[in-house]
Amino acid sequence: MKINQRNIGADSSGENLDFGFSFHTHSMKTPVSFALFALVFAIVVPAGAALKWETTEVDLHPSLSDKTAVAHFKYKNTGDKPVKITSVHPSCGCTTAALAKDVVGPNESGEITATFNIGDRSGVQTKNITVRTDDETTEATILKLKATIPQLLQVAPTFIFWSANDVLKPKTITVNVGGDFPVTKLNVTSTDKSIATEVEPEPDAKAFRITVTPQEAGRPINAALKIEPDFPKDAPKIFYANVRVDSRAKMPQK
Amino acid sequence: MSAWIAGPKCRRNRSVRPSLVRQILLLLGLAFLPAIGQTIYYRNDTSWHQRPVDAAQVSVAQAKGWGNAVLWVDARPEEEFARGHVPGAMLLNEDEWNALLPALLTAWSPERKLVVYCSRQTCNASHAVAERLRNEAELKNVFVLEGGWEEWQNRNR
Repeated sequence: MKINQRNIGADSSGENLDFGFSFHTHSMKTPVSFALFALVFAIVVPAGAALKWETTEVDLHPSLSDKTAVAHFKYKNTGDKPVKITSVHPSCGCTTAALAKDVVGPNESGEITATFNIGDRSGVQTKNITVRTDDETTEATILKLKATIPQLLQVAPTFIFWSANDVLKPKTITVNVGGDFPVTKLNVTSTDKSIATEVEPEPDAKAFRITVTPQEAGRPINAALKIEPDFPKDAPKIFYANVRVDSRAKMPQK
Repeated sequence: MSAWIAGPKCRRNRSVRPSLVRQILLLLGLAFLPAIGQTIYYRNDTSWHQRPVDAAQVSVAQAKGWGNAVLWVDARPEEEFARGHVPGAMLLNEDEWNALLPALLTAWSPERKLVVYCSRQTCNASHAVAERLRNEAELKNVFVLEGGWEEWQNRNR
């Protein structure tokens, strides 16, 4: 094999005209060997990383009563020199990541434990943890923790407001029951006695309608509605809606 | 020109073209190989896996220009809020959403603009809080601060 380096289009004969580089074998004049070289290069370069992860994505399904969701990301140093984990950075303050050891010897294994604080979240939550090492040949590794938090009730809207120009007519909050949860009844109480509530199940739907009516005008009202489903009985859940009434809002004319 | 086309060089030029086209196609094909490899290897880092940019983002300068009409909302954890926050900001994060929301709603009024921030450009907490304020509480004029608390500090040094 010989390697020719020429200026672009410099071959005035027209044969083997190329873009500066051409690799020739004795048997062929097309740059097939160059193709093979590029292919091998493309495959080999990403494989140089020494820290191999068993998985970089964990899908968790915590129960209704769980306060946290914990994921374990296992790794192994498959290289021939130690790898130092220089930083482990969660994308949000709600997730903490604990590292068993920061220097991983050849053939050693370890894991990063990521704990996601569920708090008042619901639905699908995805949190990333960025791991960097002193191995300069690899980019940072992004570990993904996905938690599907069951949604017992969906309250909409969670805030109702009567402004200065409003007449204090009833407003409605809809509560949908999530999944197959056997909720049959809601108990709703207000922190302010002047806010009256009435709960009705929606016909032919796993939902309830809460009618909210202010019964007093002339003062600002900030109230919370406490919504308590009759399931689960062993670990009761409380949901909230907020009510605000401007002092200038008027009672409806009778 | 016509003499050049009809001359002997023309025949040589024509014989070159298939070889040139072949090389161009081959090089284009080769360019795709590492691109495809990188796409698969770094599939979790590609932009389409990231949260889409919030349409209602505002810069620090724009938000400060709104003056007292702004109600600042800090979406970071309580410990970070305690270490420092935008003057007058109210804490609202998803860790303690139910406990913190009533105070914010008491301070809110329809003419005010809510500007939510978290620690930096890449954090998602401000987007999540803004989304809940819009969708669940049905509030209007909810914005996310570009660059978050870090950018605020940079602009106020």
